[in-house]
Amino acid sequence: MSAPVVEIRNLEKTYGLAFVLREVQLRLLAGAGAFIIGGNGAGKSTLLRILAGLEAPSGGHALVFGQDTRRLAARYRRRIGLMAHQSFLYPNLTARENLEFYAELYSLADPRECAHQWLGRVGLAEVADTRVRAFSRGMEQRLSAARAMLAEPALLLLDEPFASLDHDGAEIVAALIRGAVERGACVLATTHGIPEIDGVELAVFEISRGRLMQHAHKEEGRRGGRIRSLLGR
Amino acid sequence: MNNPTIRNWLGFSTLALMLVSLFMVFDYVPPDAEMGIAQLIFYFHVPLAWVAFASFGLVAIAGIFYLWLGDQLWDDLGYAAAETGMVFCTLVIVTGSIWAKPIWGTWWTWDSRLTMTFILWLMYGGYLMLRASADDTPQVARFGAVIGIVAAMDVPIVIVSVRMWRTIHPAVLVTKQGTHGLEDPRMVWTLLVSLTAFTLLWAWFLMLRFTQLRTRSRMAWLAGRIALATAVASDPK
Amino acid sequence: MSGFAAVLRKDLRLELRSGESTLALLALSMLVLVVLVFALGAARVRSVDAAAGALWVAMVFAGMLGANRALLAERDNGAIRGLLLSPLDPSTLYAAKLCAAFIFMAVAEVGAVILMVLFFNLDFDASMARLAPILVLGAIGFSALATLLSAITGRTRGGDMLLPILVVPIFVPALIAGVKASAAALSGAPFESMGDWLKIMIAFDVLFVTAGYLLFEHVVGGD
Repeated sequence: MSAPVVEIRNLEKTYGLAFVLREVQLRLLAGAGAFIIGGNGAGKSTLLRILAGLEAPSGGHALVFGQDTRRLAARYRRRIGLMAHQSFLYPNLTARENLEFYAELYSLADPRECAHQWLGRVGLAEVADTRVRAFSRGMEQRLSAARAMLAEPALLLLDEPFASLDHDGAEIVAALIRGAVERGACVLATTHGIPEIDGVELAVFEISRGRLMQHAHKEEGRRGGRIRSLLGR
Repeated sequence: MNNPTIRNWLGFSTLALMLVSLFMVFDYVPPDAEMGIAQLIFYFHVPLAWVAFASFGLVAIAGIFYLWLGDQLWDDLGYAAAETGMVFCTLVIVTGSIWAKPIWGTWWTWDSRLTMTFILWLMYGGYLMLRASADDTPQVARFGAVIGIVAAMDVPIVIVSVRMWRTIHPAVLVTKQGTHGLEDPRMVWTLLVSLTAFTLLWAWFLMLRFTQLRTRSRMAWLAGRIALATAVASDPK
Repeated sequence: MSGFAAVLRKDLRLELRSGESTLALLALSMLVLVVLVFALGAARVRSVDAAAGALWVAMVFAGMLGANRALLAERDNGAIRGLLLSPLDPSTLYAAKLCAAFIFMAVAEVGAVILMVLFFNLDFDASMARLAPILVLGAIGFSALATLLSAITGRTRGGDMLLPILVVPIFVPALIAGVKASAAALSGAPFESMGDWLKIMIAFDVLFVTAGYLLFEHVVGGD
């Protein structure tokens, strides 16, 4: 029985007098796809940043691959892909150079080939040698998705992956998410509307007043909506 | 550490010993043959310097423990030590200047010890400016710890380089070294008493400030708890 | 190791593309030297002591800018977070940033030395060869310190103003040693006479490269 990819117990995050997250419980196994919805400032991004180890929780535990996210060793970090609001891309490098750089950081076998493939996959092959500075927000978002998924992470954290994407772009990213779930990665994404991705069973959670609840399911709703150990099967 | 009884006891014994030390400096100890009455400031100057340097050592030690253990207590201690140290370090420079004017004929000279004290003062001034320009988050606490450690590491090299700097250029003025002969045993006793008095004063200041910072950290923690509790209480059942 | 090379190569490529940092560093060095020539007056401009002092003032200011620049690229689009999340070690990141800052500084120093010789009426002779190791040691120490501290000041309000306030006092020992050794080198003194100053600079470099390497993770990580 393998450990859950994500395990959150009683997580809290406060900034001074304001709390962002409280009593958050979540368990995700490999191959699970989950979306979190909630209004602006609900704490969705904070939750993803905590899981990526970029922010420390104020209380409770956040475990990824069974490791505390406050101290993730390199070999666990390399299995996490994060697509955040900020693209993490260098405006003065071309799309290809950006991907090659990250491929080198993740010590992938053939950075050049890898960058080439991913540029094709996100439909940016034609602008591969254009600097990211000149990209539209949607193009940057596609490249950011490629950057996050480059090293085939076992845990994919996506913050608003469909934001500013056109119809084609959204299709591409949806296909990538489906692909990741199919190869057994665990995907946790935030979004505004309730998403639908063909062929993937998605669990939907909502963050409301700092708490994470499973969304719109009858039985769970009646029991107060607190998530104990869902997902997985 | 936060026991008010200990704090009061410390405050009163500081007061008592300070009075004794004042009496000894002004009435008991014979003034220096060459320098006359100006030399008496030495009995304040040296203890001040000792506690100033001890504070900065404490900043670095607290910094190491903070980075190691991550307990807010160490950051509060380091911050309190830096603030206290800054007060005493300023007084070291002021008392030194007051002494230097009649003896060396100038308020300031780039003597090796003066230079070193001044550089320390600048370093910890930077530390305090950094702390003042940011909120008290764990991140800024780590920044403070790193600066405290780096500054303390620098001190030995500063001492060596400043000494070489002044000895290669011949010093125009008599070095302080020659004037420090404590030939009279009464001088030794006076120095010991004032050293103890100032160490107690320092410990008392440090403890007061540390207690304040501890209270502030606890209040910040409590504020978070209250926010959570309020949110829980107003949850729809 | 591949992470180190990747980051350094990326930084140098960015720099070659824009040339912003190096140009800014060179311009600043030149302006500092010009200001000092006017400030010191024509009479004193002939002394090697003044030249050595001016060179180090230019170096400190250019170095501050260089260290800031080396980390600036990571602030666009939050790239630093992408690096921290990658398997790259924070210490390796420090090493790469230190190298980048050193290279920018070295380029600026070459320019500053040429200008110093011209402005202060010196000669391009054997003293330049003696000056080189001193400047290299100074640049290593300064980059080591400024890279660590600019990671701190870059993340606080009004940080750019705080950087010199934090860096300069700590850099004082290397500055004293560097100015003294440079003046000796320019006046044609034998290499042995600067031995003690060089030792101080080496000690400073070793200490601060090690400190930066060990402490960097605490200033870039988390929150």
